[in-house]
Amino acid sequence: MTQHLWDRLAEAKSRLKPVQSKYRVLFEDPREPDAPAKVLVPDPNWMACALAGGVLPPIETYQHDRSVPDGQPKEHPYAEPIGPLTEEQAVEYLVQKDIDPAVWRDYQGNRTILKIVPVELIPTDRSFRNAWRVVQ
Amino acid sequence: MSTIQASNVSDGTTTVGTSYVVNGSAKAWANINGTGTITARDSLNVSSLVDAATGGYNYNFTNNMDNTGFITTTSAFRDNDAYTGVFYNDQLTSQTSTRHYNRGTTTRADVDTVYIVVHGDLA
Repeated sequence: MTQHLWDRLAEAKSRLKPVQSKYRVLFEDPREPDAPAKVLVPDPNWMACALAGGVLPPIETYQHDRSVPDGQPKEHPYAEPIGPLTEEQAVEYLVQKDIDPAVWRDYQGNRTILKIVPVELIPTDRSFRNAWRVVQ
Repeated sequence: MSTIQASNVSDGTTTVGTSYVVNGSAKAWANINGTGTITARDSLNVSSLVDAATGGYNYNFTNNMDNTGFITTTSAFRDNDAYTGVFYNDQLTSQTSTRHYNRGTTTRADVDTVYIVVHGDLA
């Protein structure tokens, strides 16, 4: 029987060294046109799990679970873990897992609303944080 | 890996049901820096952070919660001074959010230290 995902995460945390990703995902939500751009930051412990393999479930299980009502059994905690990913594959996995499909799959407008960028391109000066947009 | 199956845990004097231990444990936690390019100092069961706006941070779970009845406890600091932190419930089982304000105002502010702890039922 496959170990529960949370147990695998707890075990991996005691074994794996955190990995700070060199990437960030900059995105805008088309359902909130007045909101500033958001920045997704991969968690270092999660990235260590992704690179090591044997911990995270297939991305398809999260997508399936989006349609499962609260309180009903979900697939992702009990799915067989996937093997190691490259850092680039891991960021693509996170885009599909942690960003709404309205941004990365369904948007049909002309603006570029999602970019995977090196961390150096994210401003460290937050004076005008609420005016950030994705550069076209 | 071995599994101990027991209904109760006892130190010889006091006995407590294992359900109290399992249900009472934190299911996710994080310590983040919300200034500059935000980063997690350490965490458990968090796949990513989202810098949503000034003083607004989202935390995505690796293992989602079972229902939206979970709770998040949060506190925040900046320059060794306490800032107000509130749990923002967006009715998702895959994410929790916090919003931070200057004390006594409704103006959001970035904070250099945010702690969150999540309790509830796991999926």
